Amino acid sequence: MAREFITEVENTWCTGCGNFGIMNAMKKAVGILEDRDIPKSRIFMTAGIGCHAKIFDYMSLSGLYSIHGRAMATAEGMKLGNPGLRIVAFCGDGDALGEGIAHMMHAAKRNSDITVVMHDNGVYALTTGQRGPTSPRGFKGPSTPEGNNEDPWKPLVLMLEAGATFAARGYSGNVEQLAEIVAAAVEHQGFSFVQVLQPSVTFTNYFEEYNEIVTTLEEGPLEFDEALRLARQEEPLPAGVFYRKEKEPYEVSINRGRNPVEDRMRREKRMKAIGDTLGG
Amino acid sequence: MSERDTFSFIVGGRAGAGVKKAGSVASNLFASMKRYVFQMDDYQSLIRGGHNFVATSTSLRPILSHYMRADLLVALDARSVRAHREDVREDAVLVYNSDEVEEGDLPDGVDAIGVAMKEAAKEYPNPELRLGLAGPTALAACIGLSRDDLAELIEREYKRDLEANQAFADAVYDAVSEKAGGRFELEEGDEERPMLTGNEAIALGACAAGLDVYFAYPMTPASTILHFLAKHGKKLGVTAMQPESEIAVANMAVGAAAVGARAMVGTSGGGFALMEEAFSLAGMAEVPFLGVLSSRPGPSTGVPTYTEQADLHFALHPGQGDIPRVVASPGTVEEAYILAAEMLALVWEFQAQGVLLTEKHLSESRVTAAIDLDSAAEVSPVMHEDGEYKRYVSAENGVSPLLFPPSEELINWTSYEHDESGFTTEEAGEIAAMHDKRNRKTEAMKERLKGMRAVNRHGDGGQVIFTYGSTTMSVLEALKARGLEATVVQPVYLKPFPVWELDEYSGANPIVVEQSSTGQFATLLRYELGVEPSKVITKYDGRPFEPDDLAAELEKAIG
Repeated sequence: MAREFITEVENTWCTGCGNFGIMNAMKKAVGILEDRDIPKSRIFMTAGIGCHAKIFDYMSLSGLYSIHGRAMATAEGMKLGNPGLRIVAFCGDGDALGEGIAHMMHAAKRNSDITVVMHDNGVYALTTGQRGPTSPRGFKGPSTPEGNNEDPWKPLVLMLEAGATFAARGYSGNVEQLAEIVAAAVEHQGFSFVQVLQPSVTFTNYFEEYNEIVTTLEEGPLEFDEALRLARQEEPLPAGVFYRKEKEPYEVSINRGRNPVEDRMRREKRMKAIGDTLGG
Repeated sequence: MSERDTFSFIVGGRAGAGVKKAGSVASNLFASMKRYVFQMDDYQSLIRGGHNFVATSTSLRPILSHYMRADLLVALDARSVRAHREDVREDAVLVYNSDEVEEGDLPDGVDAIGVAMKEAAKEYPNPELRLGLAGPTALAACIGLSRDDLAELIEREYKRDLEANQAFADAVYDAVSEKAGGRFELEEGDEERPMLTGNEAIALGACAAGLDVYFAYPMTPASTILHFLAKHGKKLGVTAMQPESEIAVANMAVGAAAVGARAMVGTSGGGFALMEEAFSLAGMAEVPFLGVLSSRPGPSTGVPTYTEQADLHFALHPGQGDIPRVVASPGTVEEAYILAAEMLALVWEFQAQGVLLTEKHLSESRVTAAIDLDSAAEVSPVMHEDGEYKRYVSAENGVSPLLFPPSEELINWTSYEHDESGFTTEEAGEIAAMHDKRNRKTEAMKERLKGMRAVNRHGDGGQVIFTYGSTTMSVLEALKARGLEATVVQPVYLKPFPVWELDEYSGANPIVVEQSSTGQFATLLRYELGVEPSKVITKYDGRPFEPDDLAAELEKAIG
């Protein structure tokens, strides 16, 4: 039964929210992937908690709507359980770099074959605008009325150093390019990270600024050192695939090449293996 | 030997002296004599130094505890003599390292045999590491094993540096044989049985039911499940993974289950605390989720390598919100195997969560076990057959069929309150309806448990004693040791609490035996059954009950 890609759930994102761009890009990416023999039925998603995560209800893609900060771990469990699926974890910047940063860093370190799409709006929007890990110094929110007194992280730098084998930046204002980036990230076998610059019209309306400083990275992917240098750059902010490397995904070796759900032993064989193990 | 039908061997020394290995080899020797064996390892949370010992007891009948009163004590250092001087029996043999032990430290009245162990071990590059070999060697001499049989034993158990091992063992064997050769006659039993720990039984039981993946972060006393499955996973068809934290562990297990993989996690109290939000997620999303909680003395870091039962209420109530849950605790190693399989099957049948609660004393004690492997349950969830799929479609027993990717249907698992399709809802009617649906699973689980054995009753007549978990073994062995008559009631399932099997005790005044300082189990019994214990016997010093000591307390309480 063919379903519309966008569900009938009432959309409650603010008019003009960058999340619309990300959802439209995902819709296009799924189309691109279908053309590359990755059927929609094999894409399984998860999301954290926050404005970004409402994408889970709005898109007609199967998955598990996880909890704040844990979508990366949820995604890794999915991939390990059935390596035949393509797993996409949508998360926010607070979600991925605050509550869940350990999972992000380790997923990259072990090259888990999941795609993390990080909606980077630099704010905790759903909880009414507190500062987040990528909020600029001086950012004023209800928890920092005198201005954020921490410096922001540069997510691509963290992910490159942690071992991501695919690292890219997209912009919710450039849906065509973002769709290509996300499709490439899902296709990549290994840990892929996509930082999406995504203004929140209510709290961090950077559209005009981004339209000035976001450029297109024509020459990517780059050598590691060059990718890192560019990831540190504050202006302009190039969008594109910064880095890509072939490396055996974690789930291949940890599962010894098996697919746990498809290659499950039959009971007789299992009982024999247990008997042998007990026997010494 | 007196009319006692048990024989006890203790070997003690510093960590790094091969104490654990010595104890295991002694146990293997008893098992090879077709006897029943119970081995308890007492060790500290350190890698070198300190005081470690193994107490291993054997009998021709099933034995459910070690005994601390030793017939043979092998002390590899001076501290072992001081620590166990009160533990030796009057007719015991004490073999000690005369290079370290002062004669003045020796207990009176025992047959003490000094062996210059350090001197005998000087052939080794690191002599300290080989001291442990003196344990099984002294045992072999005392039970009259021939020199050839000993040589065979060493070849089997101590392969590395074999020649030096033989020379060291010969020196110990000669010294002990001269004074106590063949002192103890241990009859051969009826059948050789495999030896395994509670944790190994849990791992194997879960495998038997169809475990696919195991996630765990290192934490004593649960870690050996991870080690065992990592080592044997290839043969058993199981993936064992060590993620970055228990938070990752639990959430990965949720993700794996959502694509159809039968997952299990294991930890101790501190790690279990970190898993709580995932327990709650699994409850809302109705993800089959089985966690092993192997307790050690808390609160907090507590005493990492010892035993306690103070996580009972924690195990009954992890995570925010109303959640259908099954909690059970095995009383023996055999039961650990059966229960791990049964609980994995149950959590998949009801898409619910389970906590297999155990303690260090069962997790790490090593026993001869007769397990009927084929009696293990098998995971067999209710699957969606055809037509439009709704993840949370209303069902009489609360259980909506499962469907896994890849599928053309939309499969929505979610942590938010949701409608039948799994879309987020804030509608009053839908919220209440979904609570009702989940709660119906608790009722369905109760009905299911009514058809199973949820309570064990041991013995028939006399005083009623309630106990659970590993303490069951201590109570049963204590009664055996003194020939006391009692009815021991051991609820295996603790949630849903099997009141239907325990009606007759409502208003009774049983003795309760447990290992928590506040009597958590007694509190549960008061709440669930309305009983008022006549006496609550507790022990909370990290050590398991000793059967002779517990028997004395029980005798006093029974009156």
